[in-house]
Amino acid sequence: MLVTADVQRQAPRTADAPAVRLRDVSHAYRGADGALVVLDRVDLDVAEGEFVSVVGPSGCGKTTLLRAVAGLLEPSAGDAEVLGGTPRQAQRAHAFGLVAQEPGLLPWRSVEANVRLPLEIAGARADVPALLGRVGIAGFERYRPGELSGGMRQRVALARALAHGPRLLLMDEPFGALDELSREAMRVELLRLWEAERITVIFVTHAVREAALLSDRVVVMSPRPGRIVADIRVDLPRPRPEAAEDSPAFLDVVARVRAALRSATP
Amino acid sequence: MTLREAPPEATDAIDGLEARRPVVDIEAPRGRPARAVAAVVLPPVIVGAVLLVAWEAWVRVRDIPAYLLPPPGAVLDALRDEPGRYAGALGESLVAALGGLVLASGLAFALAVVMAHSRLLERALYPPALWIKVTPIVAVYPLLVIWFGFGLGPRVVVAALITFFPMLVNAVVGLRAVDPRALDVMRVLDASRAQVFWRLRLPSSLPYVFAALRISVPLSLIGAVVAEFLSGSAGMGQLILIANGDFDTAALFGAVFVLAAAGIGLTAAVSYVEARVLTWHVTATGV
Repeated sequence: MLVTADVQRQAPRTADAPAVRLRDVSHAYRGADGALVVLDRVDLDVAEGEFVSVVGPSGCGKTTLLRAVAGLLEPSAGDAEVLGGTPRQAQRAHAFGLVAQEPGLLPWRSVEANVRLPLEIAGARADVPALLGRVGIAGFERYRPGELSGGMRQRVALARALAHGPRLLLMDEPFGALDELSREAMRVELLRLWEAERITVIFVTHAVREAALLSDRVVVMSPRPGRIVADIRVDLPRPRPEAAEDSPAFLDVVARVRAALRSATP
Repeated sequence: MTLREAPPEATDAIDGLEARRPVVDIEAPRGRPARAVAAVVLPPVIVGAVLLVAWEAWVRVRDIPAYLLPPPGAVLDALRDEPGRYAGALGESLVAALGGLVLASGLAFALAVVMAHSRLLERALYPPALWIKVTPIVAVYPLLVIWFGFGLGPRVVVAALITFFPMLVNAVVGLRAVDPRALDVMRVLDASRAQVFWRLRLPSSLPYVFAALRISVPLSLIGAVVAEFLSGSAGMGQLILIANGDFDTAALFGAVFVLAAAGIGLTAAVSYVEARVLTWHVTATGV
């Protein structure tokens, strides 16, 4: 397909063109004792504007899946399609925002300069102070990452991921390194942010409740080699208040995800 | 070599919207109270003074002849009688040392940039670089004289040869020691190699570059003095040769002290610049 994602950006949204489409994606790492298969024929469609969580035990290939979508890794087999083109084309169109478990900020840059990094690379403009306000760290423009707490650093990483106006936000256990209170605060923040903007999100986590609270769909993966064993729709109304966590519908989703995880584990 | 580390974590923040205090307060170069400075500076000064007094006393009590071991007073006199002689010689040595250092560091860093971007070139270029390192400079010196004559040339080249390898190795490691998460972020944005280099690799390498400089600055002085010693043409090496011929032991000691002071001064200068440039880095805590 020779349509660049730039063209796609202006193209009208159509229901049959998912933001992300994985077909038969398999991946193996070559190790000391042969190939280690981490992804086994994964099919996944993520619609434009959808929030999809990928849940699975450690080492099930969640991160590999995300890296294949981001174009950071060429899968051994199968096709990854992003916004109607290849992941590389989506990279060139600056369609991705990436948040990993570790913030990966540049320690020599101020908070503001860190958030400006994608703008410099993409040649884009954005109101950085407003963006920092949206992720809850207004007024910290001039601080260095080393002067911030882990939760605040992760907020900076989120602001950086959103700065250039990506169409697809990829999050790899973004709250995994945070303490429980920070985690909860970030969860609420992300929910609020996403409900305001509705960009496509793929959210990798091993926290079942977190996935259920945030997502439109929860995709459950089996232990290595990672396979998709369940695709559970979360029919909770939006905006979701924190109280949603006590509703029967929410608890039902959590129970179904847990059951799928259990059945996938030998 | 200094490894790049995350700053130590303070654990009081529960993702509150309060910034933590800067983490490295205690040893930070700024705002250090006078008593803390004294606590750092005084002990070595006291030890130095005690040693000098003991030296003077030993020479007097045992009546040791000055050509064997002059008392510190005599060394001081030698320095005070002819300050120009030492200053001039040191100046010549420093020109050769720093000239070689700048030349070698520049070349080594440029080569490191190439090697950091290509494993193939790294494998190809590392053995000759290692070969330069392991060859005794003294053995090469006659060749350098044949090629570069008796002037400044061979002295600069010796200082360059001796400082080349530390910068090369450290810079290659530093240019590769990028945070993989930050690299991912730049890659999904389709950042060019140049953008990754200027925005990520180069700043990431700076702590390693300064670590290399702290090693190679005193080395460059050694290289220059060795070359001068072999050629007898200029600088502190020549001064030492002449003083040796004259049995002027006090001047020999004077030369040793001048060189030691110069080495300390240069290292302190590097640390000073490092502390100013790498304010974000944990090892940037002054001398």
